[in-house]
Amino acid sequence: MVGANILLVDSNRAHFENTLNVFSQIGIQYNLCFAKDDIQAWLMLTGDKKLSPLPKIMLIDINAEGINGIKLIEKIRLDIDLKSTLIFVISDINNDKNKRAALNLNIAGYINRSFEIEEMINFFSILNDYWNNIEFSS
Amino acid sequence: MIQKLVNILLVEDDEVDVMNVKRAFSKNNIKNELFVAGNGVEALDMLRTSIVPVPRIIILDINMPKMNGIEFLKHLRDDETLKNISVFVMTTSNEDSDKINAYNLNVAGYILKPLSFEKFITSVATLKNFWSLCEM
Repeated sequence: MVGANILLVDSNRAHFENTLNVFSQIGIQYNLCFAKDDIQAWLMLTGDKKLSPLPKIMLIDINAEGINGIKLIEKIRLDIDLKSTLIFVISDINNDKNKRAALNLNIAGYINRSFEIEEMINFFSILNDYWNNIEFSS
Repeated sequence: MIQKLVNILLVEDDEVDVMNVKRAFSKNNIKNELFVAGNGVEALDMLRTSIVPVPRIIILDINMPKMNGIEFLKHLRDDETLKNISVFVMTTSNEDSDKINAYNLNVAGYILKPLSFEKFITSVATLKNFWSLCEM
């Protein structure tokens, strides 16, 4: 999956930049892309300038202000080209209603995120090992 | 917070593979209760009758008699009470069609069974670490 895209949906661009740094430190081979909300993410997945290749992995902070993450996941699950996307929900906020809704949409994992660099390195090292352990369709 | 241990349902017809999973769990100190179904029909029955209690995840083989893994997944996703269960495919099938069908039915991961037991232990360790991150 070298060169494959991962789309991060997060309202805070600084989180994206920190995540990029962590990817670089760990040596994660994926290309991390950024959308500030569900609307921009949808354009990056379906618009005239959609990402190529389409991401097989997405990271979505569904509880961030200004992001309707559940609506985005619902749309992805109904789209023939996107429905198979592996979606990891990341959040630092406890929102049981959103968690239930996301799990009902068959996300791959609902994960508590931290913004401490050491914890981010540990977190993304585990995720990267997992991504390298699983097979994707060609 | 003490998180309740998730119950794991292994859907696998090959007794040697079942034994290997049990050994790999033991080597990785995985304490979750493991239930075994020999095919998709048996697995659906065990889930619907709550023989496997909530919370639960599934490790699923693809090639099985009676009802294979993909057919099982279709039934699971069509069942309102079972559709949200996380499923991890663990199979020797490297067929692209199986991977496409499994991801279209929203499995959380598709894992090829490694040929060596040592590599299998490592693969299960990676799964364990991932599960430790996730909330159910």
